[in-house]
Amino acid sequence: MEGIRLLLVDDEEEFRGTIAKRLTLRGISPEQAASGEECLSVLEKMPMDVVVLDVKMPGMSGIEALHHIKEKYPKTEVILLTGHATTLDGVEGIKAGAFDYLSKPIELDHLIGKIKHAYDKIRREEEKLKEAEFREKMEQQMIATERLASLGTLAAGVAHEINNPLAIIKESAGWMKLILKKDECAEIPRKQDFDMALNKIEKGVERAKRITLQLLGFARKDDSVLAELNLKELADEAIRLVTREAANKDIEIVQEMDIPGNTIWSDPYQLRQVLINLLTNAIHATGSGGNITIKLEVIGEEVALSVQDTGQGIPKENLERIFEPFFSTKSPGEGTGLGLFVTRGIVEKLGGKIEVESRLGHGTSFCIKLPKYLEVKEGLAGRDHTDILNKIIKMG
Amino acid sequence: MIKIPTRVLLVDDEKDFVEMLSLRLEEVGERVTPAHSGQECLEILEKDNIDVVVLDIKMPGMDGIETLREIKRRFPIVEVIMLTGHGTTETAVEGMKLGAFDYLMKPADFDDLAVKMEGARKRKDEQEERIRKAEATFLLRKSGNI
Repeated sequence: MEGIRLLLVDDEEEFRGTIAKRLTLRGISPEQAASGEECLSVLEKMPMDVVVLDVKMPGMSGIEALHHIKEKYPKTEVILLTGHATTLDGVEGIKAGAFDYLSKPIELDHLIGKIKHAYDKIRREEEKLKEAEFREKMEQQMIATERLASLGTLAAGVAHEINNPLAIIKESAGWMKLILKKDECAEIPRKQDFDMALNKIEKGVERAKRITLQLLGFARKDDSVLAELNLKELADEAIRLVTREAANKDIEIVQEMDIPGNTIWSDPYQLRQVLINLLTNAIHATGSGGNITIKLEVIGEEVALSVQDTGQGIPKENLERIFEPFFSTKSPGEGTGLGLFVTRGIVEKLGGKIEVESRLGHGTSFCIKLPKYLEVKEGLAGRDHTDILNKIIKMG
Repeated sequence: MIKIPTRVLLVDDEKDFVEMLSLRLEEVGERVTPAHSGQECLEILEKDNIDVVVLDIKMPGMDGIETLREIKRRFPIVEVIMLTGHGTTETAVEGMKLGAFDYLMKPADFDDLAVKMEGARKRKDEQEERIRKAEATFLLRKSGNI
């Protein structure tokens, strides 16, 4: 009964005062109201668990007040106090949603018992609600997991099918490059153009290959590379890949990367993926003529790389959810809802963290903090795997 | 220096892939025989001298592992490099246990393939050398006994 919020409504001040005093002695201090109107205005300011409501009052009747309460505060329970000869009112009241009724004159223990019951009912309802919410959340998670699983199967299938034609393109381009290097081709016109285009094909294949490997969940440690990389160059590269999209919306990408110490040890491919994801998001969020700033800061043994846009910003209620898988505000088919989820996964794998700040109407800033030197943890799955294979080779 | 060509048998059911990789390998001086199934691979090994088999694991009909087992049973000295697809690391390990020289994940890097092929070829040459020496010792001992 501790902490119960009770409102006592009766026009007879003496009666109300006595009951209130006696209730207080028993550990329940009620708020008081002298009329139906006052009752409603109290409820507006303070939510109540239980209202003990006299039926016969001048002005707004108890039954009328009950209707209002049930309409506006369905969780609040109401116990009606009826005159001795008017049990009919009580029945009427229960039909209208009252928890119960008591006939005047009332016995205090009786009243307290009823209040207790009403309060128990509220608590049970709350628990039920919590349980339902929990179950719904679980179900949603299960759906998400299932979606993830079926998406994984599909992605793996697609990636596998794409790998075969990719291999053909790769070998064809490689072969042509070999031919171009032969003496017999030394003099062919526009040879440089061919070379350039073939290099582009090979680079494109490499990129596609990385995507398929990532889709296959195969971007394991032995596929990931650790190298000293220049973040400015990396940013240049990432920006070049999104330039067209930005130009289509007349968005300017500003770089503030020219600072000393802009090299770190990390995985260039994964980090490039992170930058591309953040830049693409920024472009989608920013309206025509806006701009995006990509900025680098060195803080001790860490670097902070931020991508800031002048877009519409992210509403507060979405801000906590943007890193969840499949959370997307784009229409279905346009966004997978995986971009930031994957991005955060990569950043954390690289020993960093990602933060977001957003102001509605002003823009959003994503900041990734990365260690300058990625520590190679022991027991990398990939390395172990190679060791095992080497052992097998030696055994064989 | 003139490169001694490695005699490669390239086995994959993707005809275009076999064709292009063959052309590329030949361009750098290897001698390539194409095959498009495990069965065809074994038939060629029966009649031709092959150093290294580059074998796709996923093929309809007789799959790569079955083919590998058969190669190692009938032509133990021929080296095999497997080409594996996704999720087939277990298969790769199984293949290594069955005696494959190494494996590559498709689409494989040409330089990686070249390095592994060279290694395979070397191992085969050394093995052949040891066999020759053993044979010579055996013959010497035999003639000495006479």
